[in-house]
Amino acid sequence: MFTAAASLRSCASSLAKAQCRRSLATSAASSTAQSSTTTGEPLTHYRITLRRSAISLPQNIKGTLEALGIHRRLQTVYHRHTPDIAGKILTVKELVTVENVPESAVRTKWEQRQERKAPRGYSVTGSKLQVDL
Amino acid sequence: MFGAFRPTQPTFVGLLWKTPWKLSRTRKANVRARLKRVDSVIEAVKESGVQCAALTKALELPKEHEMPPRDKYTVFSRHAKGYRKGIHKVPKWTRMTLRTNPKGF
Repeated sequence: MFTAAASLRSCASSLAKAQCRRSLATSAASSTAQSSTTTGEPLTHYRITLRRSAISLPQNIKGTLEALGIHRRLQTVYHRHTPDIAGKILTVKELVTVENVPESAVRTKWEQRQERKAPRGYSVTGSKLQVDL
Repeated sequence: MFGAFRPTQPTFVGLLWKTPWKLSRTRKANVRARLKRVDSVIEAVKESGVQCAALTKALELPKEHEMPPRDKYTVFSRHAKGYRKGIHKVPKWTRMTLRTNPKGF
């Protein structure tokens, strides 16, 4: 029982670590890709974040945000590089920030949520009892 | 003379909001920062390699460093004296594209 729990815990911690590593790796990759597009992966997606609210702006702008799948401020969505998405971004260019990212940096809503979370569980680094003995 | 009951226009006439006729140094700095942020969005869309009518239209807009101060902080108004008024008098001015003005004004 105890071993099972321990293994679960270690699994959880390793998962969290892996996720951490993944997010770190991807952030590093995206930054390098931004600086030099030729060396890294091809940049295929827009990372769109809503910075300014569309409250009391015309319906067409509000509708464009809905069409991009943005419902609240500071929400981030990913879209492929296509002319229709580019046009939508430019319609709301005062409200959003846009980055070009490779395919590997694309996150779903759930994945973004998991990356925001603090790592679950703990890992035993040592025991004072064992040191004394 | 001082305090809550000093004779000022807002205390005498009730609801009175005054808009300064020109922007302060800080507000102008914020204008420039916003313009640069929009420039970066257009630049990112341009770098994606996509071609569309909206992009060609957006690229025709002057960039922040190409705009004269006159265009950054004021807009054309046919009613104002000198045909110019402060850009902060335009409703929703921080979230609109107000970069170009009629030629000659």
